[in-house]
Amino acid sequence: MLSVLVAKRLVSGVCQESLRPAVVELVTTRGYKGEAPDDSRGDIIEIPLPPWAEKDGETMDIKRRRLLFQSRKRGMLENCILLSLFAKQYLNTMNEPQLRQYDRLINEPSNDWDIYYWATEAQPVPDVYAGEIMDLLKEFTKNKDQEQRLDAPNLEYLDKGSQ
Amino acid sequence: MAVVCTASRVLTKKILSAKALLAVSQSSRKLHFSIYGKNEAKVSDGISTQYPVVDHEFDAVVVGAGGAGLRAAFGLSEAGFNTACVTKLFPTRSHTVAAQGGINAALGNMEGDDWRWHFYDTVKGSDWLGDQDAIHYMTEQAPHAVVELENFGMPFSRTEDGKIYQRAFGGQSLKFGKGGQAHRCCCVADRTGHSLLHTLYGRSLRYDTSYFVEYFALDLLMEEGECKGVIALCMEDGSIHRFRSKNTVIATGGYGRTYFSCTSAHTSTGDGNAMVTRAGLPCQDLEFVQFHPTGIYGAGCLITEGCRGEGGILINSEGERFMERYAPNAKDLASRDVVSRSITIEIREGRGCGPEKDHAYLQLHHLPPQQLATRLPGISETAMVFAGVDVTKEPIPVLPTVHYNMGGIPTNYKGQVLTYTPEEGDKVVPGLFACGEAACASVHGANRLGANSLLDLVVFGRACAHTIADICNPGEKLSPLKPNAGEESVANLDKLRFADGSMRTSEIRLNMQKTMQNHAAVFRTGKVLKEGCDKMDAVYQTLDDIKTFDRGIVWNTDLVETLELQNLMLNAVQTINSAEQRQESRGAHSREDFKDRMDELDYAKPLAGQVRKPIEEHWRKHTMSTVDPKTGKVTLKYRPVIDNSLDAEDCAAIPPAIRSY
Repeated sequence: MLSVLVAKRLVSGVCQESLRPAVVELVTTRGYKGEAPDDSRGDIIEIPLPPWAEKDGETMDIKRRRLLFQSRKRGMLENCILLSLFAKQYLNTMNEPQLRQYDRLINEPSNDWDIYYWATEAQPVPDVYAGEIMDLLKEFTKNKDQEQRLDAPNLEYLDKGSQ
Repeated sequence: MAVVCTASRVLTKKILSAKALLAVSQSSRKLHFSIYGKNEAKVSDGISTQYPVVDHEFDAVVVGAGGAGLRAAFGLSEAGFNTACVTKLFPTRSHTVAAQGGINAALGNMEGDDWRWHFYDTVKGSDWLGDQDAIHYMTEQAPHAVVELENFGMPFSRTEDGKIYQRAFGGQSLKFGKGGQAHRCCCVADRTGHSLLHTLYGRSLRYDTSYFVEYFALDLLMEEGECKGVIALCMEDGSIHRFRSKNTVIATGGYGRTYFSCTSAHTSTGDGNAMVTRAGLPCQDLEFVQFHPTGIYGAGCLITEGCRGEGGILINSEGERFMERYAPNAKDLASRDVVSRSITIEIREGRGCGPEKDHAYLQLHHLPPQQLATRLPGISETAMVFAGVDVTKEPIPVLPTVHYNMGGIPTNYKGQVLTYTPEEGDKVVPGLFACGEAACASVHGANRLGANSLLDLVVFGRACAHTIADICNPGEKLSPLKPNAGEESVANLDKLRFADGSMRTSEIRLNMQKTMQNHAAVFRTGKVLKEGCDKMDAVYQTLDDIKTFDRGIVWNTDLVETLELQNLMLNAVQTINSAEQRQESRGAHSREDFKDRMDELDYAKPLAGQVRKPIEEHWRKHTMSTVDPKTGKVTLKYRPVIDNSLDAEDCAAIPPAIRSY
C-alpha cells in the first residue's frame, strides 16, 4: 500500500517538475494547505456550467464600472486585495480589447483560486487567458517595488470632485 | 435629456424629503420600465416613481448563493418549488470557494467511527453553548449528506479501495474523547469549497432554478410578523425588484468585515443579519467571533499553522520567542486560542512590532530556503504579494485575525427563524428560514471546530428545503402584499445615493473596524469593552453625516459598499454590546476580568449538594440582541440553551463538564 502511494507521488512529482522547475523534490504545489490527494475533476467534467458569454451593447464606461465591482468582490481575500489594487492601477486606462481580455479573465474561470495561482505563477496560465492583461497582472503581483499591500484600496481615488 | 433628468431628480428629491414616498404619479419624469424574470414579473407603480420596480412571484426565495444557499435552492427546486436565488455574487464566487479543508462526517472509512462521537466532539467544542438537538441533527445527518453530495457528482478524494478518503482535523476524536484522533474530514483535493459550489450550482440549473445574479438584497418584506419576500437592487440597471414568496431563506454568510483584520473576503458584510435586525427580529450570540492566531497584519490573509509546524517562530519587538513563556512545552504549536491570547498580551504590554507596535512577527528566515520552497511554497508568494516581505530575509507581520462568526440569525434545527420570550418560549417567524454562517442553529455554540462549517452549510441548507417541502406545496397562492411594501428600503437607497455629509464611507468604515479591533478582539476586559461600546455608538451616529460620491445607479460600487457599511454597523454594535454584557469566558469569548465559565452549576467540583442557579444568575445561555436602527441602541435578552438531543435513547445528551483537551 505504501509503495503504491510512493509510486503515485513519484509520477505526480515528475509531472509537476515541468511546471515548477525550481522545485526539485516531490511535493504537490498546494501541499502547504495539507495533503492534497488527487483531484479527478469529475464535477467539472460531468456537470458543465453554462458557458460564459461577453455582454453585448455595453459602453466602455459601463463595462469599466461593472469590472470595478467584479474586481473588488471576489471569493477569497487574496483575490479581493490583488484585483482591486490591479483595477485601481490599470482599469481606467485599458482600451477596449484590454477590457474584454480582463472581463474574460476575471469572469470566466469558475474557481477563484485558479486566477490567484496564475497571477502568482504557481500554476501555468491556460492559453485562452494568456495575453497582455495576464502578463500585466503577473508583473503587478510580483510586487517589485515591495510596497505593502495591506488592504483593498478605498474607492475615493475615483472621486473626481476631491481632486 | 440630461437637463430633464437633473430637473426631475431635484423635483423628486423634494418630494422624497418632504414626506414618505406615497405620491405615486406626481413626477414629471418619464419612467422606463423593463421586465425581468420568467414568470409574471409585473411592473409596480406602488413604491417609487424614481426607481422602476419589478414584482416577481415565487414559491421560495433564497438570498445568497454560497454552499448553504445553493443547497437550499437545489433542494427546493428538486422538490418542485419554483425557486429564485438572489445573490450579489456569481455563485461560484461566493466565499465558500475559499474553503480548502473539508467536510466532517462519521463515515468510518479510515477506522471504526460513530456519529455519536462526532456529536460529543461538537458539543464539547461549543463549550456547551451549542443546542444539542441541532448538533444531534447535524452529526447524524452528516454521513447521509456527504453520500448525497457524492451522488450529485462531487468527486471526493478516494482511498485505494475506492472509499471516500478521510483525514484528521483538530478537535475530532474517537470514543467520546478517549480513543485518540479521528479521521473524519472528507475533501475534494484542496478545492472542497469550489467543488461544492460547482456541483450544486450545476445541478440546480437542471431543475430550472432562477438565478438573479448581481442583485443586492436590501430588506425583508415583513407584514404583521410574517415574512413575505425580499426587495433587492439590480446592479446592472439600477431597477428595484420585489421577490414575493411564502418562504424566504437567508444564507448570506458572516460579517468578518466589521474588523480591521479578518481572513474573509470583502463580501462578508453580514447583509442577512442586518436585514433581520431591521425587521425587528433578534440575532443570537454575536459576541462569539473566532480568531485565527496568524493572519497577515492588515491584509488578514491566513498564514497556515503549518508554518509553525515546520519550525516558524513568533517573535516580539525585542526579538524574543515569547511563546516559550506562555506554553513552555508546546511553544508556538499551542492551541489556537492560547497563541492568539499570547500575541495579544505581548502587544498590550508594549512589546508589539512595527511603527505602531501593534502586531507580532512570524519568523521563517532561519529555516533553510529549500525547505521553505518545497514545504511552504504558497507562503513565500503570499508574504511577498501582501506584505512586501521576502520570507528568506525578513519576518512576516502577523496578528490574530477574525475568521468565523459563530453567532447569527437564531433558528431551530429545522432551519426556521425564531423569536423568544420567557413566557411563550421559542416562536417560529412564519415564512422565514436561515442556514449557513448567517444562521445560529446553534451547532457551533461558543467555538467552532474545523471542517464543521462546510457540514453546517450542507445539512442546514438541506434542512430548510425539507422543512419548506413539509409545510408547503408548490404553486400555492400568495397572500396579498401592500402596494408600497419596501418603500423604506428604496428611500434609504436614494438617501445614500445622494448623501452629501462630511464623512466618507471609507472613513466611517475604518473607524468602525479600528474600534472593533481595539476593543472587541481576542482578549476583552470590561473597561475596554465599555469604552468600545461608547466609541461604536459615536461611530454609528456618524452614519447620518455620510458622504458618497457616485450619483449613478448602474454598477454603483460606492453605493453598494455604503449599503454594506450600514449592514456591518448593525452587526458591530450588537457584537460589542453583547460582549460587554457577557461576564464570563466561554469558547472564543475570553474576558481577562472574568476568566472562568459561569454555568448553572460549578462543574469543576462534585455536583452533589450544589444548588442550581436560576438563568438570571449564570451565563450558559444564548444572547438575543436587537437594535433600533434609528438610534443604534442595542437591547439584550437571553434564551436558554437546548440541552436535550432529538432522541434521548438513540443519542444521549452530553451534560456540561470542564473543557480540557
